[in-house]
Amino acid sequence: MLDWSNVSTLAVAAILTAGLYATMSFGLALVYGVMKIINLAHAATMMLAAFAVLSLNRAFALDPIIGSIVILPLFFVAGMTLYSVAVRRVAAVPIASLLLLFGTWLVAQNAAYLIWGSEDQSIVTPYTYSTIDVLGLHIAVTRIVPFVMSFLMLGAMRWLLGSTDLGRAIRAVSQDPTAARLSGIWPERTAMIAFGIGTMLSAFAGGMFTLIFSFTPDFGGVFQLKSFAIIVLGGLESFLGVALGALVLATIESFSILIPGWRASLVNLLAFGLLVIALVVLPGGIASLIARRTGRAVQ
Amino acid sequence: MTFGRNPYLTGILVAGVCAMVPILRPDDLTILGVGFLTFIFVTQAVSWNLVGGFAGQVSFGFAAFFGTGAYVTAILWSHAGWDPILTLPFAGLAAMVVALLVGLPCFRLSGPYFSIATIGVGEAARVIAINLDNITGGASGLVLPFNVPEKAWFYRAGLILATITFLVAAWIRRHRFGLALFSLRMDQSAAESLGVPTALFKNLVHVVAAFFVGVSAGLYVVYLSYAHPDQVFGFDLSIGMVLMNVIGGIGTLWGPVLGALIYFPIRQLVLSDPRLVAVNLLVFGALLILIILFEPGGLLGLLARAGIVARSGLRLAQPAEKRPE
Amino acid sequence: MSETLLRIDHVSKRFGGLVAVNDVSLDIGRGEIVGLIGPNGAGKTTLFGCVVGLIRPTAGTITFEGQRVDGLSQHAVVRRGICHSHQIPAPFPFLDVRDNIRVGASFGRRRAEAALVVDRVLVRTGLEALATTPARNLSVGNLKLLELARALATGPELICLDEVGSGVTPVELDRILQLIRDLNAEGTTILYIEHNMRAIGAVCQRVIVLDFGQKIAEGTPAEIGADPRVIEAYLGAPIGAGG
Repeated sequence: MLDWSNVSTLAVAAILTAGLYATMSFGLALVYGVMKIINLAHAATMMLAAFAVLSLNRAFALDPIIGSIVILPLFFVAGMTLYSVAVRRVAAVPIASLLLLFGTWLVAQNAAYLIWGSEDQSIVTPYTYSTIDVLGLHIAVTRIVPFVMSFLMLGAMRWLLGSTDLGRAIRAVSQDPTAARLSGIWPERTAMIAFGIGTMLSAFAGGMFTLIFSFTPDFGGVFQLKSFAIIVLGGLESFLGVALGALVLATIESFSILIPGWRASLVNLLAFGLLVIALVVLPGGIASLIARRTGRAVQ
Repeated sequence: MTFGRNPYLTGILVAGVCAMVPILRPDDLTILGVGFLTFIFVTQAVSWNLVGGFAGQVSFGFAAFFGTGAYVTAILWSHAGWDPILTLPFAGLAAMVVALLVGLPCFRLSGPYFSIATIGVGEAARVIAINLDNITGGASGLVLPFNVPEKAWFYRAGLILATITFLVAAWIRRHRFGLALFSLRMDQSAAESLGVPTALFKNLVHVVAAFFVGVSAGLYVVYLSYAHPDQVFGFDLSIGMVLMNVIGGIGTLWGPVLGALIYFPIRQLVLSDPRLVAVNLLVFGALLILIILFEPGGLLGLLARAGIVARSGLRLAQPAEKRPE
Repeated sequence: MSETLLRIDHVSKRFGGLVAVNDVSLDIGRGEIVGLIGPNGAGKTTLFGCVVGLIRPTAGTITFEGQRVDGLSQHAVVRRGICHSHQIPAPFPFLDVRDNIRVGASFGRRRAEAALVVDRVLVRTGLEALATTPARNLSVGNLKLLELARALATGPELICLDEVGSGVTPVELDRILQLIRDLNAEGTTILYIEHNMRAIGAVCQRVIVLDFGQKIAEGTPAEIGADPRVIEAYLGAPIGAGG
């Protein structure tokens, strides 16, 4: 059923979701860039943020958008704390930090199960079912808002990295921690702040997700994989690469329902499939990832 | 090498001791059942260690191989009427094929990136299994025939499998293949520059490990007479294999064995008590965190620190040698 | 000079917009010791990388013993008979010296006699006393020797050395240079990147100079030491006059 209405609806949905995917992936990319480790607690962060927003909504009837912003400082601090208490001690050994963050994820998941139970949760707001008419298409308000917020957040991040001293410090440490140290920058502190910011971005994405999806404590895992697929696909050189990767994934997911015999539960496999394809085809985004790790020339 | 100079001998001795059990207590079904399951876990842990410990490629996706082996056995047995024992080599073989499909693309990523890619693997396998419901019985599982051998048979079969897996691991460690794996774990590029075909070897050890995991799954499913995607493809299986090795000591020979011996009873305890089931992830996650923070070498690392055994295995505590780029 | 062992034929390598190696051709004959010098950024390391399998040339071919080797993986190149040592030593830190060397011996061209090869190499490089020392405990000079030992253990026809003279004391350097001469006397061909002109002058029969990715001079150490282009680009003073 490939008519204009269908295709455009799917395309718009893809773009809107891509914005959110980009936000969550950028947090992961930031942490990787500075510390060369993949934050496996990213999943836990998104999940806890979603539940935090849920609780705020239940307790104070706080709108999820406001809720997502309100929790940001909390997650910033939490991220920095996690880093100083645990990650920093094992940051030099990638596998150890990976396992540590993974353990954190398990603990967080279980804590969520204990506190909130395992049923599907969702937040319903006055505008959950409203739509806006754009060019003859009905677009759900709940999809536009996260997109716009993500856009703003990414813009803020771009400003932070490009125009502030902190941003320059982060970029310096990403490129060469020793040289940064010689320039008077303190890599551990920068890493801590970057980890805090990365956690904050993941939390923001998690909060925004509550507008669109229902969730249980294990929903983080899928998005961990998606974020990773996106940054592998898009490369880490710029947030543009991440944004493109997010767009590709969101588009494939959106249009997948047109495949005959498709089942909704298979949609999460797409990220994994994309990851495998990206690995096999080896586009520029991957080469830099590998080159950094094996320390050898880019082919 | 920890317990003595000759791991083959020690391994066979230990196996010999275990083999006494069904002779001395032939009617104790509990101990035979527990023993069998322990051997299955030991096989899993030792196999995982070949890839995660010897080669240093930490995989979170081994459940995919277990589930594949389980379903190959289940399907050949229940749908095609095969004798379950005959299905076992094929369970192993099927797991090997899946390992190849996973490994060829994923081993292009190094270290931690490989690990993350494998997180998706087990889940992908599980989702696929659930969706192929006309073959696998989908979300309701597959109930299998009940005409199975007695528990003592399973005990002995499990023991033989675990022992063979262990002996293979001991052999690899001694052989230059093991040397190559250790070298590529420490510095893949340097190993390549000395003639080690790293991609080939990573895939090779991956496939070998998958074989034993697949066979163990076949035995497991015959024992239970039941197969369900969440059970045999479950992420908890993958986590378990990682955890057993972290507990015992990744990269050592006896670490996975000890780790399995410790992990298995904890797991059984947690899963059987309704209050504890709710916190099982908490228990395992906390265990993982504490071990990584305080004794990354696991139990054998502790013993090495105490001077009781020689240090070996993957050094999670020491930074990987980082050369300026 | 006898038969050509390695032929680098119009090799270029581009990294995006940067041309690191620009249409370089050179031959290395069996049994030669050839030096490769030039300022930093001249393309020596890139060219070196193309020969040993680290980098795939953008254009041109590299032939070894009559067969193409450009584009092969590092381990395949080792099997053909070309090995290399790293400028910054890359030992396997938690293996001892013997096991480090054993890796090279087990997967190079002489895999069948690995144990014998290891013992011989240990003696050759003077590392027998340190055979059971974990590599991470070695001094820089010994790490360089270990690099050399591992590469030797693969049984190469052509050894490519990357600045083995940097970071070592003059005494250690002399030892390494003597080892190079001994290896050459036995028939091993050597390609040697180096900044240390004393070392180049001491062992190389022929020297090739690169600058900005191109070959600007080729000749004996004395000849290129006097070559005005080389002096301008790189040397500042004739070879042998300084350290």
